Amino acid sequence: MISNLILFQIPILLFVIGALSGLLSRNSRLARPMIFVPSMIGSIFTIVFSIGIITGTQLKLVIPHILPLFDLEIFVDGISAFFMLIIGLVSFAVSLYSIGYSKEYEIQKRISAFGFLFNIFILSMILVVSSNNSFFFLIFWELMSLVSFFLVIYDHDKEENLKSGMTYLVMTHLGTAFIFTSFVLGYVQTGSFSFDSFRHGSTGFPLLVKNLVFVFAFIGFGTKAGMVPLHVWLPKAHPSAPSNVSALMSAVMIKIGIYGMIRTIFDFSGFGASPDFAWWGMLLVSIGSASAIIGVLYAVVERDIKRALAFSSIENIGIILVGLGLSVVFTSFHLTAFAVLALVASMYHTINHAVFKGLLFMGAGSVVSVTHTKNIEHLGGLVKQMPWTSLLFLIGAISISGLPPFNGFISEWFTLQALLSSYHIPSTILQISIAFASLPFALTIGIAAATFVKLFGMTFLSKTRSKNIVNIKEVPRSMILGMSILAAVCVLFGVVPYLGTSLISTAFHMSFQQSSPLDFISVQNSSGKSFANLSIPVVVIILSSVSIAIFGFIRVLSGHTKKTTYSTWDCGFGSLNERMEYTPTSLSQPIRAVFKVFFKPHNQTEKESFGENPYLLKTVKVETMIKNIFEEMLYTPIVSSFVFFFDKVRKLQTGKINAYLLYIMITLVLLLLFVRLSNNG
Amino acid sequence: MDSVITVIVGLIQVLVILALAPLLTGIIRKTKARTQKRIGASILQPYYDLLKLVRKDEVISDQTSWIFRACPWINFTTMTTAAFFIPVFLAYTPFGLVGDLILVIGLFALGRFFTMLAGLDVASSFGGLGSSREMMISSLLEPALFLSIFVVAITYGGTNLSTLISASSNSSFLPHPQILFAAIGLFIIILGETGRLPFDNPATHLELTMVHETMILEYSGKSLALMEWSQSIKQIILFTLMINIFVPWGISSSILLSTLVIGFLTFIGKISLFGIFVAFLESSVAKWRLFRIPDLIAIAIATSMIGIVLCYL
Repeated sequence: MISNLILFQIPILLFVIGALSGLLSRNSRLARPMIFVPSMIGSIFTIVFSIGIITGTQLKLVIPHILPLFDLEIFVDGISAFFMLIIGLVSFAVSLYSIGYSKEYEIQKRISAFGFLFNIFILSMILVVSSNNSFFFLIFWELMSLVSFFLVIYDHDKEENLKSGMTYLVMTHLGTAFIFTSFVLGYVQTGSFSFDSFRHGSTGFPLLVKNLVFVFAFIGFGTKAGMVPLHVWLPKAHPSAPSNVSALMSAVMIKIGIYGMIRTIFDFSGFGASPDFAWWGMLLVSIGSASAIIGVLYAVVERDIKRALAFSSIENIGIILVGLGLSVVFTSFHLTAFAVLALVASMYHTINHAVFKGLLFMGAGSVVSVTHTKNIEHLGGLVKQMPWTSLLFLIGAISISGLPPFNGFISEWFTLQALLSSYHIPSTILQISIAFASLPFALTIGIAAATFVKLFGMTFLSKTRSKNIVNIKEVPRSMILGMSILAAVCVLFGVVPYLGTSLISTAFHMSFQQSSPLDFISVQNSSGKSFANLSIPVVVIILSSVSIAIFGFIRVLSGHTKKTTYSTWDCGFGSLNERMEYTPTSLSQPIRAVFKVFFKPHNQTEKESFGENPYLLKTVKVETMIKNIFEEMLYTPIVSSFVFFFDKVRKLQTGKINAYLLYIMITLVLLLLFVRLSNNG
Repeated sequence: MDSVITVIVGLIQVLVILALAPLLTGIIRKTKARTQKRIGASILQPYYDLLKLVRKDEVISDQTSWIFRACPWINFTTMTTAAFFIPVFLAYTPFGLVGDLILVIGLFALGRFFTMLAGLDVASSFGGLGSSREMMISSLLEPALFLSIFVVAITYGGTNLSTLISASSNSSFLPHPQILFAAIGLFIIILGETGRLPFDNPATHLELTMVHETMILEYSGKSLALMEWSQSIKQIILFTLMINIFVPWGISSSILLSTLVIGFLTFIGKISLFGIFVAFLESSVAKWRLFRIPDLIAIAIATSMIGIVLCYL
């Protein structure tokens, strides 16, 4: 039996090998296997290692004084291992997918840098979740942020991508600053940078410090997770990156933010079962439901397939935060059973979102790689040319819409049950506010389904809307295989929820009732009766037996009938063409109209007519736009006030040497005055 | 032995829902015809229609993919599976341990997801129009539905329908004020979910008004029969839920033959009365303009919200 330590070192070594061979391969023909095979094997070892930790013992490792003052501390417990499992699972599928996908980059002769960054990116995420010292945590965190920044601007010949990269870089450092502040508060209290000392000392922090540690960590990690209103980087950065990187970023990297939040709340902030901390949970619930509804509203009107998926990531982070927040509220009122339910809901959705968002981004990447457009206005009808991609994308779409019997339904069922269980909380205000928070939450689920009807229907169904998209072929086998792995996990985690619940309850050392795969999930009410039950395996059995029965019944009843293929009903006018179809914009128009207060849609019409007669039109151009309220009302004022301020400061820099000498003299005089006055005092 | 009988009664409840679904549609149509001073077709007409459609040949659009062909089967399967969890004339069902009200809504949503995709699949502007409107209406109905369930679940202690209906059948008439608000909310939602006036006019084929009909416009033969039947099943399930949650009198609480018969007869009576009521209501209102529908849903949301506040006060 190999020890955990060696199992931990193997994937690190493999990712380093992958990174170096990427650099050394010099764009040769063997470059793609040399880069992605090590990362695949490394991911497998990560999965094996994390399962070993979850079911076995924790790994703890200290290398003292690797840098002056700082020890390299590694600590992998169930929580870290759970997130490591997510990293391993998605990275494996994405690496496999990348073998086919990055062929495009091989033609452009830029694969070696890509391979280096790709491997280092996965490695940095593994190191972040396993480090146990705030100094090294921040180093690895920065490494992750910077490498992902370089990956975002990988297609740097487009100026748009550079701009997105800059937004990402600024926002991620803003987040890091808050995380840093949170850790410094811990250091001031305990005198050590080690997470162990935070863990032991945090119960003794004054309440104010506990609150501050939480708030700073919440803002810092929330920026990485993409919660509203710190989400602005996410819909820019994720579509700009190559699709396999978008899959990793959206599926895994933003979950590292969730990991940081969980670590801080449950480990370092001195959180305990006291109503003092209930507001933390309420903050999480309210920001979570705001993120969910705002994310999904932008997603449903979006025309760029990758940006729509990025907005949907914000929505799903919102759902995760709602579950986490409910867990905090329940814990602070000693309602342990419901706290476990809510935490299971949140973590179940974390792993689910990693799986289906990875799948959907890879599906979108496949579409983009063959059609060379991200705009779904130009797509359509791909189901015939790309049967496998469309099937796998459909599985992802059904899962993310929260429909049974796929995995999204299970986590949303748990979250809804956690919301319903809020009636146990002994505070009327909290009860009513949580009930009101469930309104945007339920609206989110409804609109999410509409979003994915639109994304799937407009991309894969009906006729192609653009003449450029002809002679499309299905993507290479490795890409389909990569997507199939995650699709299989979607189905598995939906049909057998026991897999997920037992994984989470073992990793987080909680007791959750399900004891065997066929056991039903149950929630009790206060009189001891069953509040809710669910047994998806039996539902699947009913579904399949009903479908067989009805198939036979209709067959017997109908006797022998024929099927004729004929063109779609065109009201007798003939020649239905693709210009008469509904477009993505018109499809979501009713929703845009209902939420017009939020979107502030405006149309711009330009007409050009022949001569004087305004009715003889040469061209008509109609443009529909929506306002991005966060950028226009929050970020633009802040940025422009900074620009205004520094514009004034810049006037100091005149370029004349006598002016600079004057500044030096003023400074000297002020310093002398300062010294003089402080001596007197 | 006891559990075997329970399972048998549970299966009978499913069959009752499947068998009576077209009858309810027939009753509603007949009542509407009478209110319009027409004689109207027999209340058994929906059965004849289904039988006729099943035996007909099908015409399928050449633009469609497997999604269009699979959609009727998926719809019928999901609706029938949802019927397993609905107590009809017995206050509980043996399948209550398998799924709850949220699963029922999830199954409805799965069927609707595929119906919307099928509408897009035919590449006509009609299908897109229907899917687009359905997208809006369904995404707004979802929160309204959840909130009214919230009220009912908290009052009666469960989303598990066996717990819920048993508790409601044991309580007196309007035990809590919030139930009245939930009933108003749920009634509006049911009109929307089943595509009745003022949300959608199930009897017209005019592109200005129709929602559900546009999505199934390209179906014929067996597929159309399955779509129609599953829509009727959805309707009877929602009506059954409504009457069993809010007026559960007469429902059998044990598996004795006498109470079961009484339960069955009162169920038939109540569901017919409810259908007639809906038909009268439909005859007295006009179809609302599409963008006024959110106002109606907002009323449902607001009443459920009041219900929630009343739960806790």
